[in-house]
Amino acid sequence: MAASSQFKQLEKLGNGTYATVYKGLNKTTGVYVALKEVKLDSEEGTPSTAVREISLMKELKHENIVRLYDVIHTENKLTLVFEFMDNDLKKYMDSRIVGNTPYGFEMSLVKYFEWQLLQGVAFCHENRILHRDLKPQNLLINNKGQLKLGDFGLARAFGIPVNTFSSEVVTLWYRAPDVLMGSRTYSTSIDIWSCGCILAEMITGRPLFPGTNDEEQLKLIFETMGTPTERTWPGISNLPKYNPQLPQHLPKDLGALLQSQTREKMDLTLIDLLYGLLQSNPDRRLSAKQALNHPWFAEYYQ
Amino acid sequence: MCDAKALRILFKSPVTDDMIRFLTNTTLAVIPCAKDQRNAYPSPPNSPQHAHKKPLPSLMTFITRLVRYTNVYTSTLLTATCYLHKLQEILPRDAHGLPSTSHRIFLACLILSAKFHNDSSPQNKHWADYTDGIFCLEDVNLMERQLLELLDWNLRLEEHQLHDSLKSLLEPIKYDLQRSRKIMARNNYHQRNMSACSSTSTLLGTPSLQSLKSLPSLPRLPSLPSLAASQTLPNKLSMDTQMYLHRDYSTATLV
Repeated sequence: MAASSQFKQLEKLGNGTYATVYKGLNKTTGVYVALKEVKLDSEEGTPSTAVREISLMKELKHENIVRLYDVIHTENKLTLVFEFMDNDLKKYMDSRIVGNTPYGFEMSLVKYFEWQLLQGVAFCHENRILHRDLKPQNLLINNKGQLKLGDFGLARAFGIPVNTFSSEVVTLWYRAPDVLMGSRTYSTSIDIWSCGCILAEMITGRPLFPGTNDEEQLKLIFETMGTPTERTWPGISNLPKYNPQLPQHLPKDLGALLQSQTREKMDLTLIDLLYGLLQSNPDRRLSAKQALNHPWFAEYYQ
Repeated sequence: MCDAKALRILFKSPVTDDMIRFLTNTTLAVIPCAKDQRNAYPSPPNSPQHAHKKPLPSLMTFITRLVRYTNVYTSTLLTATCYLHKLQEILPRDAHGLPSTSHRIFLACLILSAKFHNDSSPQNKHWADYTDGIFCLEDVNLMERQLLELLDWNLRLEEHQLHDSLKSLLEPIKYDLQRSRKIMARNNYHQRNMSACSSTSTLLGTPSLQSLKSLPSLPRLPSLPSLAASQTLPNKLSMDTQMYLHRDYSTATLV
């Protein structure tokens, strides 16, 4: 375990869900790091978010997941020492807004980022970990164009019969419809929905479903993807917050909708992938592995 | 297959006296602890400023109260066993504890099991309340931090670890499952109603915390003892004899 004196604290990088992040310099090695400082509230003890983030990230060593190097735990403060990344996807997207018009990324960059995102997610899922908070802010990028998953504060291990799951997970805009309807039996598909929302957002520069509350979020999703029924999604009516009076919408043409917001020509295979990720019925959503084998990524697999 | 099913049945059953006995014995096996001072040499009563401290209850009573106050899930409770076993492997063989060490070890394992495995779990402030004044918030924070350090934050568990750690509780369920499967095969008759769950409930014993019905309801948070002692405690785990001889169990280190 490292001592905090080993690191020189530099400028503040931002505020996470439960912590402040600083740039730091490892004085012994000269390597930059990100120092995530969690103030310890004595009433709570070590926050469960930190307990899970640390114990899960310790094992996750993958080029598309931010590396946790060390943990410094004192009575008042918990510091997580992470690999340093230059930026996050949200800030990078914001930097491309010209005037008031958001611009998506070049299609080649969209593809490279989404590929890396799915690689990181596939690795988590292989290791039976759900991220549960995938969104542009939590995807870190560096000047080499690498993208890595960060902030595992909401992550959970799955696969052992201990535990209760909450449906209060994932930032609203990236939350899957089954979770919005109160499902607590979700699994890896919860992260895949977010990957679909992020893909669309990288294409247009705008969030796909920017709802302000749970009902509006579902409404936005169903207006575009069509209102699911017991036929398209068996078991939907058993979900805790299922509303049988949902207005019935027919699915819109997602391809045309996104195409109208971007100049670059969208491939049919890309639209097919979007539909695979954004299936309302969680059982029909692609897995991360399946998505990586999708024809849109053909140029990446030899 | 049978193993996995037995584990699910066990985790769905209410907390039984057998489980509490099992947890008590598992905890006591982690590290030998000094006997409570009451049973040792006669010694004068505590100094007046410590007079309000409650005497240390037996570990079994301590666990039973925690279970009753917190309504902890069976799965969370029993999973703490895996951390107890991990700790047993980590601790040096000649490690010794204070009378309260086993209480600390159990509570810290239970807290981490709850924090790791559930999306919502009690705060340490509440855990301190649940100890009925045995431990204060500072004690609880310290034991949690020390356990995290000892386990090096390795809280992830695999299903086989649960099977190994809970073997003695799982055996009777497995036996029962196998027996009922044999009976069904012999009769060549698949009784739909005979769920494994109902057939094993008898084996698991009465889901009784009845012996505790007379316990008072959760008392109010006792006033915190002077913090001076706990603030000067060493952060690092200490096995030295001074700690061992430390009489004030509520501010001692985990082990």
